[in-house]
Amino acid sequence: MEEMDLYRHTDTINELLARYGVKFGIYKNNEFREQLFPFDAIPRIITASEFEYLEKGLKQRVMALNAFIKDIYGDKLILRDKVVPEEFIFASSGYLAQCEGILPPKGVYTHISGIDLVQGKDRQWYILEDNLRVPSGASYPMIARNLCRRSSPLTFQQNHIEDNRNYAELLRRTMDHVNTGGHTVILTPGRYNAAYFEHSYLAEMTGAHLVTGSQLVVKNDHLYFIDYSGKLEPVGAVYRRISDEYLDPMTFNRESVIGIPHIYDIYRKGNVALLNAPGNGVADDKGIYYFVPKMIRYYLDEDPILQNAPTYLPYYKEDMSYVLEHFDHLVLKDVAEAGGYGVVFGSKMTAEEKEHFLCLLKKEPRRFIAQEVIDFLDLDIMDDDKMVPRKADLRAFVLLGDGPMVWKSGLTRFSRNPDSFIVNSSQGGGFKDTWVLSQ
Amino acid sequence: MKKLHFIYSMTLAFDNPVRQHRFTLKCVPLSSERQQILDLSTSVYPNEFLSSDRDSFGNHCIYGYAQGLYDHFSVTVTGTALTGLSSFETARQVYQLGLFRYQTDMTRPGPCIRAFHDRFSFSEETTALDRALTYMRTLYGTFHYLPQSTGIETTAEEALVLGNGVCQDYSHILLSLCRMEKIPCRYVVGMMTGEGQSHAWVEICHDGHWIALDPTNNVLPDDQHIKISAGRDCKDCTINQGLFTGQTTQTQTVHVSVTEQQDQS
Repeated sequence: MEEMDLYRHTDTINELLARYGVKFGIYKNNEFREQLFPFDAIPRIITASEFEYLEKGLKQRVMALNAFIKDIYGDKLILRDKVVPEEFIFASSGYLAQCEGILPPKGVYTHISGIDLVQGKDRQWYILEDNLRVPSGASYPMIARNLCRRSSPLTFQQNHIEDNRNYAELLRRTMDHVNTGGHTVILTPGRYNAAYFEHSYLAEMTGAHLVTGSQLVVKNDHLYFIDYSGKLEPVGAVYRRISDEYLDPMTFNRESVIGIPHIYDIYRKGNVALLNAPGNGVADDKGIYYFVPKMIRYYLDEDPILQNAPTYLPYYKEDMSYVLEHFDHLVLKDVAEAGGYGVVFGSKMTAEEKEHFLCLLKKEPRRFIAQEVIDFLDLDIMDDDKMVPRKADLRAFVLLGDGPMVWKSGLTRFSRNPDSFIVNSSQGGGFKDTWVLSQ
Repeated sequence: MKKLHFIYSMTLAFDNPVRQHRFTLKCVPLSSERQQILDLSTSVYPNEFLSSDRDSFGNHCIYGYAQGLYDHFSVTVTGTALTGLSSFETARQVYQLGLFRYQTDMTRPGPCIRAFHDRFSFSEETTALDRALTYMRTLYGTFHYLPQSTGIETTAEEALVLGNGVCQDYSHILLSLCRMEKIPCRYVVGMMTGEGQSHAWVEICHDGHWIALDPTNNVLPDDQHIKISAGRDCKDCTINQGLFTGQTTQTQTVHVSVTEQQDQS
């Protein structure tokens, strides 16, 4: 196989990734540790026609999610028409009342979406979750591709692979589309953030300034960047990599020291764009996920192209009885958790755990969703010199500027543990490049 | 209808001067169906930079920034309010009011509020207003007004456990009870005739109308209340929120005066 040349370079590429600082930090027991993100050189390969199908479905999904957020913070017609029960909105921690009535620049809320998919053994793709707050991960395949091209140029001459190094250009276009006039900055909480490598890499690749909160200041109803000489430069777009609650201590968490006081007030006035829009969490809650196919029908009057994993909402009586009956075949997810936490498999619980869980489920049905365990199509990874199959997912990146754009690549994450379905990097997973074939 | 003259003034004194002071003030009453605000005058010190806008609840906000060193911060709002123009404000569509139907960290019931709530069983036909009135009357009879017994962070549950509190606590408890009945309701900050501090009460949505209930005084506000702001709980209506640089102790003085004006004409 012609790719073999590339696989030989796995160690070199991992060494280079480490040297370039491709790491993420995790806090465990109050300690900050940096961890490498292991790279596996066998790419996930998606054919041109398959990707065309995914692209269409992803664009449709993101357009519906954007329409939903706009509706929820505006007229709330989807609640009037009872397509989504209101408690899935107002009892959700992702809903922020402070966002009521705000229309962000150009009406864009979901500038950068990270949509997680898996492929079943039947080759069917399923959406696992939508990440609409600050999804990370695009930088890893970007830099890995670069290093792969360098170590094995032949591979990329012999295969017809879509160049994925245009992510920066797509991101730039997305940021420029909503820029209200001035510089574009990427706001990072700082180097102790899990995704700091990505923040600095994207800033470098897009030509945006990498800043922390203390370098931004609101003055005369506008946002300014304080440059190294102390001069104030106007800012028109902030790709913020800090979460909503830390963004502005005057409006959200009053204790936040990484935010910018009054940035939210000038955003409300339309004097700066924030990417992604605050309040998006209302649409990427695991409970709301259930309703996305309904949103597509409701807002776009189209049939959903991509399917959700079969999901049950114990909130509904008939779903609850299904869940109780088929408990051992289902995976249960706490809607408030992320990063692979709060996910339990019915089949793996002890009798005692199960009893405890069922108690909780009956008490707080709205807190959980249940899903059929998808029979994943495993991907091969190199384990020492052997190829072994492992569970993997795909995070596709959809950018919404003038229109939706799907990056012709994505982050393929895999579980290194043969028995685990959980691929999150915070839980020790690795990643692969994702090749979209151009013909 | 009454014609009320009002003065709201607040001063923060710093024993060591502060700088880089950023503030957001929600202390300016707005005209509505219930009240008309005339001759409004607002002064803020320091006033290096001031701006204003409406927040997501429609409240008037003044926000500003003062870079220099100041040993105090003050705001005074004066004007005339024609009150009692209507007994309600028109509410948005009922499906748009969901955010006022869910508990917040300040109103979330605990065992004490749940026990209070469980003492009542209403028939299906009991209106939202009648339920709220029942709660208000009972609360007024059992909860005691005691200045300085609670703080701004005291939750509804904590206050009811204590058995006493101030207008903020009465209001949070009533909100908690109404929300257990899925009645949309909101926290209101305003002023009342007389001298003293700002006041807080509740509005519930009944039949498309926001109806005010003042649980501290066990009355339906008519023309003695001037509304300033509304939100889900006291956090949405914080009158003065600020951030500054400096090691200081701050002393806040608030003075509110609302007097009836007799027409001279």
